[in-house]
Formats: sequence, C-alpha cells, structure tokens
Amino acid sequence: MSSQFTSPVARSESGVLAQHKVLRQTYTLLAMTLLFSGLMAVVSMMVAPPAMISMVCSIGAIVILMFVLPKFEEQAAGIGIVFLATGMLGFGLGPMLNYYVSVPNGGSVVATALAGTGGIFLGLSAYVLTTKKDFSFMGGFLMVGIMVLFGAIILSLFVNMPALSLAISAAMVLLMSGFILFDTSRIINGGETNYIRATVSLFINIFNLFTSLLHLLGVMGDD
Amino acid sequence: MKIIWAALLGVMLWRMWPVAKHWMENGPKGSQKEWLNVSMLIGGVVLFVGLLVAFVRS
Repeated sequence: MSSQFTSPVARSESGVLAQHKVLRQTYTLLAMTLLFSGLMAVVSMMVAPPAMISMVCSIGAIVILMFVLPKFEEQAAGIGIVFLATGMLGFGLGPMLNYYVSVPNGGSVVATALAGTGGIFLGLSAYVLTTKKDFSFMGGFLMVGIMVLFGAIILSLFVNMPALSLAISAAMVLLMSGFILFDTSRIINGGETNYIRATVSLFINIFNLFTSLLHLLGVMGDD
Repeated sequence: MKIIWAALLGVMLWRMWPVAKHWMENGPKGSQKEWLNVSMLIGGVVLFVGLLVAFVRS
C-alpha cells in the first residue's frame, strides 16, 4: 500500500502516464474503501443500532468530507480520513439494510440493488474508459441538477410526500449516472489529478446510486 | 436532527453555488451530438433500472 500511495498528487512527468497513475490509484483506493464500507455495513447490521444512527453517521461523514478532508487531500494522511468517512457512511447503512432484509422479498431487493449499482457503475465507467470521450460539458447541468435535488431533499425532510421521495430517488439515480460519466472522464482527461478527491467523488456517486436504487426497488417491487 | 441535516444541506448548497456558477458560465458547452450520446447512455440506465424493477416484482 505504501508504494501505491506515495503521494496523492500525480506529478506531471508525462501527461498520459500521470493520468494512468491517477486512474490506477483511484480504482485501487475506491475498491478498498468500498470493501471497508461494506464491512462496516455488515458490522452495523449485526450490532443493530437505532435508526437515528444513519443520520448521525451521514452528517458526521459529510462534515469530515467537507471541512476536514480538504486540509489533508494533498497528503497521505488524507487516505485515513477517506476511510473514516466511508466507514461511517457504510455503518450508517446498517439500519436501512436491516429494515429491507426483514421485509418479505427484502433480501432479493438488496441483492438486486447491489448488482444494479455494480452494473451501472461498471457499464458507464467501461464506456468512458474505452471511448475516452470528454464529458466535461455536463458539468454545469450536473451542478445545477444536484443543487435542485438538494433543495427537494430539504423540502422532503419537512413535508411527508412519498411521491416526492420516490422522485428524488429516481432523479438521484440519473444524476449519479451522469456524475460517473463526468468524474471518470475528468480523471482520464487530466481534469482531476488528485486520486483522493477522485476516489471520494466516485465513492459518493456509487453510495448515492446504491441507496437510491434500493429505495426505488423497495417501493416499486412492492405490490 | 432533521434541522441539523437541513442546515448541513443548506451549507452544501451555499458552498456549491460558486462552483455551479463557474461551470455554467465558463464550462465547455456540449454539441447536439454529445448531448444525444449522453441521452442514450442515461436512457440505457433507465431501461436497466426498469429491468431490475421487473426482476424484483417477478
């Protein structure tokens, strides 16, 4: 691990080589954080903490990613912070997963959401990596889209509307798919040179995609 | 807890606004062909999710 993560910032000896290095380091760290997050979710399912822990963990992880990580993202210490935040997000999934597993057909819904998330991520990533197309033109659209979605999420916290909640999940799946194209294209085209930032972006995309897909399948799969 | 969550999302919105504004004003603009390409990819995702829903319901 130490040889792989010597410096979070790719030095530009040669553009293409540096981009390949960022890509390799990003996918290695992403795989490790996903495994760790999954492990923490399993631990959380076994411990069965109260449902409120999900919100506490999400708030904690967002505070860490928003205020602490930017100070360390150029140092190797940033890797530990990424593991802390992704572990918290994984732990926060426990109560939701326990709920889905306890309802009829819930195990199948969780497995399908997991497989679906993997399929969407691998499919879109493979498309960008093989075609090497530049999707940076989506930046403005995605930023405005996520801001509108955040506004809708704030509204849904105080207004109990199941249809709004479902619409948010559907929009989140589409937006996160767009962000996977955008973020992957930024890595391979040199727009992102820090693998810690790149990993966090892709992790958040996958995490949001999974939780939204789980919600969609949980509601739509129910007669 | 909901109020803390909403406040945090509000802070995120506030911090994202300059980034979004920058991308809107200075970001590269896609051609019609590029947007069509994106639409087809997102359409593929919609179809795939539809298949997953059908699988879960079956």
